[in-house]
Amino acid sequence: MTTATQFDRQQTEILANREPKSGARLLLESIAAQGVDMIFGYPGGAIMPVYDVLPKIPELNHILCRHEQGCGMAAIGYARATGRTGTCFATSGPGATNLVTAIADAYLDSVPVVFVTGQVTSDLMGTDGFQEVDIFGITLPIVKHSYIVRDPADIPGMIAEAYFIAAEGRPGPVLIDLPKDVANALTRERHRWRPYPKVKPEMGQAQDIAAAEALIRNANKPLFYIGGGIAQGDGVTELRELVDRTKIPVVSTLKGLGAMPSDHPNYLGMLGMHGLKAANYAVQDCDLLIVAGARFDDRATGKLDTFAPHAKVIHMDIDIAEINKLRRVNVGLDGSLKKNLAALDPFKNGQIRKDISAWTQLCYDRRAEHEWDYDAPGDFVYAPKLLHDLSRRADDSAIFTCDVGQHQMWVAQHCYFDDPKDHITSGGLGTMGFGLPAGLGAKLGAPERTVITVSGDGSIMMNIQELATLFRYDIALKIVLLDNSALGMVRQWQEVFFDKNYSETNLSDNPDFAKVARAFQIDAFTVNTRDEVDAGIDRLLAAQGPILMHVKIDPNENVWPLVPPGRSNADMMER
Amino acid sequence: MTQLQRDKTFEPSGVNGKLKVVLHDVSGTLIRALGTIERRGYDYRDVHCTQRVDGDFDLLVHIEDTGGPNNLDTLCKQLERLYNVVSAEMVGRRKRAERA
Repeated sequence: MTTATQFDRQQTEILANREPKSGARLLLESIAAQGVDMIFGYPGGAIMPVYDVLPKIPELNHILCRHEQGCGMAAIGYARATGRTGTCFATSGPGATNLVTAIADAYLDSVPVVFVTGQVTSDLMGTDGFQEVDIFGITLPIVKHSYIVRDPADIPGMIAEAYFIAAEGRPGPVLIDLPKDVANALTRERHRWRPYPKVKPEMGQAQDIAAAEALIRNANKPLFYIGGGIAQGDGVTELRELVDRTKIPVVSTLKGLGAMPSDHPNYLGMLGMHGLKAANYAVQDCDLLIVAGARFDDRATGKLDTFAPHAKVIHMDIDIAEINKLRRVNVGLDGSLKKNLAALDPFKNGQIRKDISAWTQLCYDRRAEHEWDYDAPGDFVYAPKLLHDLSRRADDSAIFTCDVGQHQMWVAQHCYFDDPKDHITSGGLGTMGFGLPAGLGAKLGAPERTVITVSGDGSIMMNIQELATLFRYDIALKIVLLDNSALGMVRQWQEVFFDKNYSETNLSDNPDFAKVARAFQIDAFTVNTRDEVDAGIDRLLAAQGPILMHVKIDPNENVWPLVPPGRSNADMMER
Repeated sequence: MTQLQRDKTFEPSGVNGKLKVVLHDVSGTLIRALGTIERRGYDYRDVHCTQRVDGDFDLLVHIEDTGGPNNLDTLCKQLERLYNVVSAEMVGRRKRAERA
């Protein structure tokens, strides 16, 4: 991330260089100056001046995806796997609107990505010109910030600020809409850009830290509830040290997975709608909830007024607007999670805590009691066991990306994670079609890692064109396609909540996915039975290039436990 | 109506008040602020926007909630999170009493 000092230095360098340059060149040079080495994009009419200059900037590697939505999600996958800011280009009109889902995804999962869209020439803006849409207006609710470029002299400062804003504080997407005439215009001018003054507080106030420590010392049943902010705030080490110091049990949201290793002795698992029973019971019974980088999302809390009903709350978040938003807290600590977690030391100077051994034992007994059972009845491949085995057989435990639906929850429940960057899922927006482009972006960002995309037969069809991108760049992504010939999660809800009225969820007319993959020149094979699974995993993991393993699974398999929407997390339904 | 559908009925909570929001004179800031107020669950009853001598804008809005777990303090923080919003605060009876 650009620091304030780096920002000032860049401004000085920008002002010193007064060669005549086009807006397009200033844009690309400014992006390169941010240390960007990879851009995911798709050219078109209004952004052609930028693509005309692009080959002349060798630092910038461009990845041509086959749909703008794929470009956006690849940039998200790259950003999440690397911890750096992603960059994405598209043209005006439909190119820009095709980015909208990716922008919303980045917004809801707080991912730093700078999106650049071409725009019609300034004199045509507002005239309903060919391929003109007001992408600035369309995306206002789903960006952290956005710009329309009116003067090429603004570009260097604007780009520096855009990358600063995308990564600063709570990260998020920034949109830059660049009219074609501004991209073409030559200028010697460089406008100084006001450094953004809203720097977030470094950490909570000393009295709030002390109040939080006192609550921890006096709690009988304390519990950590952690979320995606741990990884984004670079607080993994500090969290683990605090857990080791306090021995307090931990539950995680979907996006917090990996912040604690799946097999850590204090870790109870994911909470929420498809959370583990031990985790949900712990939340219901605790008397102190220490929330770190989580936001009381409804998928995590169930019916909010029944969530942790007996608990006092300490809430740590970089975004002060999240504190007291949905749950009144006893102590709020805004600012850097990393610094707040490091500052919390409730037992310093020999201070005594209450004995929590009965509570922790209860939590761990419940965890043991509700261990997953992988001995499922029937002849179909059992997806949870396949994912459990796959994630533990990958040499470096692998980065997993996934789509949305039943398989997404099985990945969260059954795969092993020991780093939050290893679990890349569309948690906030819940975007079907996310997994494949995010996987290719992650693999390009972390080429030394094993990257596995788990998808479903519904989801993969939404961005299946990105198989062509895998082939084009020989990206060694491993795809596991769990095929139940249905929109599985919707079908499950129809079974459970809509009297088995299976409306429009049958996908039994799916194509032969292995053949489809081979048509894109991707190696592919199908696993039909349980006894083929081990060999399938071996082949998948041994592949040197892109590969797709198509797995036929039980159309009637469901995800359990399940908390019905609008109910308490204590009301978990089971098989 | 299923239980699922019954669970999704909201009633306005009756939260209302006046906010003063100070904005930089930068393209898009006004619409961004007004849009945030509306998207976070409030209707406008009155809107005034005037430019100050320093070039910034004072936006005065009287709003009423449309349902959901809203509170104006959180809304002010959400507004202050926006770039080019200088400040957002509640104004009302207590402020007037203090001035008196």
